[in-house]
Amino acid sequence: MADETTGIGGAAVDVVTLTIDGQEVTVPQGTTLLEAAKGAGTEVPHYCYHPGLSSPAMCRLCLVEVEGAPKLLPSCTTTVADGQVVRTNSDDATRMRRGVLEFYLLNHPLDCPICDQSGECDLQDFVFAEGREHGRGRDAKRVLGRDDFGGDVLFYGDRCVMCTRCVRFMNEVEENPLLTVVERGNRSVIDTFFEEGLEQAEWAGNVVDICPVGALVSKDFLYKARAWDLDHTPSICPNCSQGCNIELHTRDNLVHRMKPRTNPEVNGHWICDYGRGRYEWLNRGDRLEAPVVHVEGRKTAMGWTAALEALKERIDGLGIDTPGGKTVKAVVSPFWSNEDLGAVSRLVGALGGGDVVFRASRADEEVALTGYEGLARRKGLAPNERGAELLGCARVGDDVGQGGLDDLANHDGIVLVLGDALDDQPEGFAPNAALVLYLGAYTSSALASADFQFPVTTFAEQEGTFTNHAGRVQRFWPALSGPGTARPAWLVLGALLGALRGEEGPRSAEQAFGLVASAVESYSGLNYETIGAQGGPSAAPLPVAGD
Amino acid sequence: MGYPYSHEKEVPILSKYFGDPEARTLDGWEAREGYQALKKALDMDPEEVVEAVKASGLRGRGGAGFPTGLKWSFMPKAKDKPHYLLCNADESEPGTFKDRELMRWVPHQLIEGCLIGAHAMGAEHVYIYCRGEFFEATQVLAKAVEDAYEAGVIGDDVMGSGRKIDVTVFAGAGAYICGEETGLMNSLEGRRGEPRVKPPFPAAVGAFGMPTTINNVETLAAIPHIVANGGEWYRQWGSEKSPGTKLFCVSGHVRRPGNYELPLGFPLKDLIYDVCGGMIEDRALKAVIPGGSSVPILSAEEAEGCALCYEGVIEAGSMLGCASVIVMDETTDIVHQVMRMASFYAHESCGQCTPCREGTAWVTTILKRIEDGRGTEEDLDTLVEVTEQMTGTTICVLSDSVAAPVQSSIAKFRDEYLALIRRGERVGAA
Amino acid sequence: MTEIPFKNPGWAGNVGEYDLTEEQVRGIDFVGVRPLEGGHPAGSSTYPYMMEDKDPEAPLFEGPYEERLEKILTRYPTKRAALLPVLNLAQEVRGHVSPQTMDRVGEILELSSAYVRGVATFYTMYNKRPVGRHLVQVCTNISCNLCGAEDVLKAFLAHTNTEMGATSLDGAFTVMEAECLAGCGFPTCVQINSRYYENLTVEEVPRLVAHLRAQDAGAARSTGPEDEG
Repeated sequence: MADETTGIGGAAVDVVTLTIDGQEVTVPQGTTLLEAAKGAGTEVPHYCYHPGLSSPAMCRLCLVEVEGAPKLLPSCTTTVADGQVVRTNSDDATRMRRGVLEFYLLNHPLDCPICDQSGECDLQDFVFAEGREHGRGRDAKRVLGRDDFGGDVLFYGDRCVMCTRCVRFMNEVEENPLLTVVERGNRSVIDTFFEEGLEQAEWAGNVVDICPVGALVSKDFLYKARAWDLDHTPSICPNCSQGCNIELHTRDNLVHRMKPRTNPEVNGHWICDYGRGRYEWLNRGDRLEAPVVHVEGRKTAMGWTAALEALKERIDGLGIDTPGGKTVKAVVSPFWSNEDLGAVSRLVGALGGGDVVFRASRADEEVALTGYEGLARRKGLAPNERGAELLGCARVGDDVGQGGLDDLANHDGIVLVLGDALDDQPEGFAPNAALVLYLGAYTSSALASADFQFPVTTFAEQEGTFTNHAGRVQRFWPALSGPGTARPAWLVLGALLGALRGEEGPRSAEQAFGLVASAVESYSGLNYETIGAQGGPSAAPLPVAGD
Repeated sequence: MGYPYSHEKEVPILSKYFGDPEARTLDGWEAREGYQALKKALDMDPEEVVEAVKASGLRGRGGAGFPTGLKWSFMPKAKDKPHYLLCNADESEPGTFKDRELMRWVPHQLIEGCLIGAHAMGAEHVYIYCRGEFFEATQVLAKAVEDAYEAGVIGDDVMGSGRKIDVTVFAGAGAYICGEETGLMNSLEGRRGEPRVKPPFPAAVGAFGMPTTINNVETLAAIPHIVANGGEWYRQWGSEKSPGTKLFCVSGHVRRPGNYELPLGFPLKDLIYDVCGGMIEDRALKAVIPGGSSVPILSAEEAEGCALCYEGVIEAGSMLGCASVIVMDETTDIVHQVMRMASFYAHESCGQCTPCREGTAWVTTILKRIEDGRGTEEDLDTLVEVTEQMTGTTICVLSDSVAAPVQSSIAKFRDEYLALIRRGERVGAA
Repeated sequence: MTEIPFKNPGWAGNVGEYDLTEEQVRGIDFVGVRPLEGGHPAGSSTYPYMMEDKDPEAPLFEGPYEERLEKILTRYPTKRAALLPVLNLAQEVRGHVSPQTMDRVGEILELSSAYVRGVATFYTMYNKRPVGRHLVQVCTNISCNLCGAEDVLKAFLAHTNTEMGATSLDGAFTVMEAECLAGCGFPTCVQINSRYYENLTVEEVPRLVAHLRAQDAGAARSTGPEDEG
């Protein structure tokens, strides 16, 4: 009989105990054999099953032997039962998989050398692991060729294993059935409605991710890199405030693509096409590479120690410690991390206080993924708007992230700019300011005359956190190395503040976050450990900051 | 009586009015004691009706032979959601042509069976899923349903009983796989007719997600007779495990092909040589497929002592299926016929399951190659192994159906394959 | 429209020991002509006609056909379930199911065009291309095959002067191989438009083809359904 134990969150969950490949496992009732085996460390080969979709049990690769059952059973739809004895590697199951894999290769072109999926292909992997050494097919293969499905999606029919994940994604998750299986039997093929393609889709890039083989590939990524040459770094999508968990795939210090990273609390297995397609800015070449100090019409590049010393001197000269001294005004970019923005807010406080504002583009509409509750391309088109707000920054400007800076432009105290290159502003921004400090990643014409231009890293080049629209704090890791001597803004500002006060600044992003957490009430109790990578199966739900 | 020929050994119950155009009309049917069984059933408790069907031992006539009464008893009693009865009139198993006769000659018999079934299972709507190609039979049935509606036999108050039962005649659009019960449900719902994974079983989650039972035309056509005369009456024919009469569809090389209604257990030999008038031109019998193209082929020797009931045919090495007896004489080119059957399954595979989608086409390709004289002896081993990989590994049994003729023919007629492969000799080429 | 002007030379239905006319066997005397608007809703989902005059541009779901569409929709708990009957109806009017037809059917039933395409291509009876006035489908499956179906198919191809699956130049015939038509006791079984012809032999093919041609040439060509009897 099923036991009752205390599950996640203290709720009573019925669990069952079964044996998989000789190993006893205890899982909640209703778990499929495939998931139970996965939990026990056994990956049962499969194509049609995907945890984010319905299970049609049609690829027939995940059949396993269950003691007492007359036939092999599909592990993706068969649920666990107490005392069940399951063998994923019995002679029958292995023989059957060999047979099914042979069927898959009958019409497969074996064009791995020119296939983008090569290296991350389930057909390659499974055949390599368990397939026959030589196929017995002697007859001509079916040839379907290539079809442009529209959007970023390209279809190579010959490589398709007919798992229909893509069709089910469009039907069940995007709920926009633009893909279908056409014809039947071995004449069946995935297709759109004749010339109509996926142009109207907003989430179709996911079909490329879930395609287990190289049938659906990204036009953007086509022939750009081999899968095994890419480094994968966990990150957060920077293109809206949803905070989808992603991986940045990089090679030669360039981002080549963004892939979703599964997080059931935020984005499931999915990301939108809007977000997926906007990574090129991380590869921009017009970067600030060394601190530049502007003294009497001359710009001088120098090392950090000298630059920070010059800045400290300059600030000391402004006499801001005295009551009624010059106050600070700052504009920050919500593409920068909580650690960076927290450092700005601490510095502003130390310099006598002042307004910190941010600007960000806003879309007219949310683009919801209707089949996945809580997931949408949000109106806010920056990753850390909520983080900025929680740190006391006020939104200014219009819906394309411009304007709203009159106050700042006319300020006669210290003007601090982080990340925002002020592309809408004229050259010589803030002419009356006593001091203009620009911490940025990119060269800026408005700020070319700033007194101090400090190169800082983007989120992709440093460790840190963003706070998504719902107040969820999520970590990212460095995927690229920053150009020249660019450093994270929190490090630069921390060092400056330390110098001004004669104390030591944070030496790691974790410490920098600690300072943020102690300053923002709704972050109390949060640290890098409690936030984690977004949680494995055993992690408790992340604390959500704010409301 | 059989159509187009009858025989004195027949026991015409379902087929009694074949060839009698008047039996099609409502008046004609009523004059032939039609709708008396429905009247009787409506006065009975639904459970009593189910019990009567159970007692008769009637087994599903669509091929699998599952006990009908037991199937009916799986339907949930709770009336919290609609229940459906589906009549499978998508007759398309090669060699089978009984349902068309039942529909076009005695449509009211089928309607009566449907209504009794609906009453027994608490179904409020009966969908008769007709094969799309059956234009004429479907129209006869549709007209009969219209007449029955008009007469109050179907509708909001079935024969004054207060029971509401609707009947809709549905036409398919050409897909063998829609004869599979869950494929049929998908098709009825306006989807690709791909079979569904079981569980859940139709009695729990069937058509439109509701409890559903699906029965073959011949099964439902037998119901009025069982209800009118009682389960025991039905058992006077056939064997303990296979009670009753059955329509045998005989085709191929016999003098008088057609449908014959005979008690189950009837000797195959007598069917061929007596009832059907023997082989054309008295040629020698070579092989018989006793249950439609999906079952193993019997050699002449195996056919010799075969009794045509569910257990008897299994004993002989095949299956009764829907009792579609395809008779092949000595001139038959077995390799060609097996290839033709395989190509049929390749054409009709829905394409969901990999072993079936790829396997049916592959088997056909290999068989064609052998026929063209480009085969090798290893091909025969490959065929056997490939069809083994296709057996028991898919959602439905279409893929197993290819394996049956291929494996049995290679086992029993290997010489013919070898003659083609080694010497290019083809049987019946002369 | 109902009466059958003369004994259909190609019918050759085997009535065996029964004394029956063709109309009696086919049930034409019983059914009569099914009304275009579908008759009783219970039968409106059936597929009454495959017309000889096939107009791929014909308006869809107008007049009596609109009425039939409405009736079909009343019989199912979901709109999707009406897809097959509605596609049947569209093909009845237009002779084949074109992309435009799929689009329109999808619109009416609130289904995506791609979905409709997926379903339409699953079923063999939906002609994806225009077919001739007489769509000849010859069963060559096992029972008919044993009795010479392949020769009958060849005879049709020869006498209509077409290739398999293609339409003759005059637009009169499309000849195809069909899977089992469930007339196995009456080999060879051939379906021409919506009508079965049974026990067809090679010898009868030229007569039947000539008859259909003569009928096409006939002045009094009816615009109604089923006029080949």
